[in-house]
Amino acid sequence: MATEKVVSLSAEAKAVAARVGSLRDFLAYLGEHDQCVSWPDPVMPEPDIRNISVAAGNNVSTGPAVIFDKIRGYPGKRIAVNVHGSFGNLALLLGLPKTTPVRELFFEIIRRWGSDKPLLERVAPEKALVNENRIDKNINLYDLLPLYRINANDGGFYIGKACVVSRDPLDPDNFGKQNVGIYRIQVMGPDTFTLLSIPAHDMGRQMLMAEQHGKPLKVSVMIGNHPAMPMFAATPVGYDESEFAYASQMMGAPLRLTTAVNGTDILADTEMVIEGELQLNQREVEGPFGEFPGSYSGVRKVPLFRVTGVSHRNNPIFENIYIGKGWTEHDTLIGLNTSAPIYAQLKKDFPEVAAVNALYQHGLTGIISVKNRFSGFAKSVAMRALGTPHGTMYLKNLILVDDNVDPFDLNQVMWALSTRTRANDIIVIPNMPMVPIDPAAEVPGKGHRLIIDATSFMAPDNLGADPHLVDRPMGPEIDALMQRLNELQKGGV
Amino acid sequence: MKTICPRCESPGVTQMHAGMEDGEVLWRVWHCKDCAYTWRDSEPAESIDPKLRPAWAQMKGVDFDSLRQVIPPARKPT
Repeated sequence: MATEKVVSLSAEAKAVAARVGSLRDFLAYLGEHDQCVSWPDPVMPEPDIRNISVAAGNNVSTGPAVIFDKIRGYPGKRIAVNVHGSFGNLALLLGLPKTTPVRELFFEIIRRWGSDKPLLERVAPEKALVNENRIDKNINLYDLLPLYRINANDGGFYIGKACVVSRDPLDPDNFGKQNVGIYRIQVMGPDTFTLLSIPAHDMGRQMLMAEQHGKPLKVSVMIGNHPAMPMFAATPVGYDESEFAYASQMMGAPLRLTTAVNGTDILADTEMVIEGELQLNQREVEGPFGEFPGSYSGVRKVPLFRVTGVSHRNNPIFENIYIGKGWTEHDTLIGLNTSAPIYAQLKKDFPEVAAVNALYQHGLTGIISVKNRFSGFAKSVAMRALGTPHGTMYLKNLILVDDNVDPFDLNQVMWALSTRTRANDIIVIPNMPMVPIDPAAEVPGKGHRLIIDATSFMAPDNLGADPHLVDRPMGPEIDALMQRLNELQKGGV
Repeated sequence: MKTICPRCESPGVTQMHAGMEDGEVLWRVWHCKDCAYTWRDSEPAESIDPKLRPAWAQMKGVDFDSLRQVIPPARKPT
């Protein structure tokens, strides 16, 4: 929903927003705070990049972004990983000290949440840095990008952190319906790739639309982006809401946009844009892929795209992600932006909700702190959480704690579980919708939900425990009065 | 020795790219036209040796047309 709300920022946050306009700017800024390192030694694409990425992500607090520029067999090519892999890096993006506690980051995101009034600056295509180089013929993605296998049993080489822009096939001029999302992309032939989405996601909806109506679906795969972009590309905003607008508002500074050759809007300073077109009704074998629950997805047949052109900056950086068994950059990248909309949606109806921690595996486990308004209230809040757009599919295990328990402090959460939980405060709801790749499902897409009410016991309202009954008038006198009323209704006197 | 796909053991494989170092080929990337597996011949054996890859990850004899569709096509491709 477009609002007039504008985010007010601290002087530090404004300074960061003013100087960080691209991935390169952010890497330089991170480097000044010891949060970005260039790996000094030559690396093999496999398994070195995977292993170093995991090591960087293991330090959830202050793990650095890592740049590889000595990749064997890819002379002159560069890769960046773990850019959003620590809360320290996210804190710096928001203009906060890198040691800022996660709880404070959550409330800073909340403070900046709720406005999609776009702050955008238009750049003419001939002046956009992404257009420094253009390839229209003999396209070979294996030559253009230093591709590598993320996990050992992946079915191929994946582009895992690209922000994909696509216009609504039936309403292509609508800016709000233009979608920006992160979807896993497996490079296939030299100029083809698959893109995995599901009907519940905006991209899946657009693919279905294009094929139903025989309309073209053109996409721009943006690789190496302004750091606010992947955070919002992975956030479930409304179908007709613009991720560009949300990202610009979170930064409080304009995003620089230009127009791709295929007509989509793209970030003018992005490292590389691969333009592709959906090959209507064609499918290719895709997967497996080591996914965020920490297990491999299956092998499926997935929509196929053909590359129509590639634009890139000089000496482009291939920004990619390690994803697999947590904790990984995926969890840090989307955790706070998963928690924020759930909090906002609950808070609207239940002001007693104090905070929401849905950091774990895209919210497969969520912790909600709430002040019980009355006995059993927390369970009602849990039910409402299950009905939020993200909760419908993802919130599988919910833990409710008191408002004086910090849901971001797991020691406090364990204290609440240990001292507040009664076995009859645990609810299992069977046969609910689930994320298809959750290995705990009974069958893909269907399984059970768990609610643990670990809030303090509140005695129920005791009215009714000792009722003083009302004497209801009855007997022949009342019967006679009813008879009289009946006669009066029929016109008697 | 002819290169075959490490996953479905098809001989229908195509070289996609060769990584160079000091004018020499350091590795080659291959793609299987049948099961769409992609690999680099310099990878650890756990990814590219059919004998060392986990059994669940192998696709020899699999009917690719029977795989699940995430987004079913609206009609047959033209």
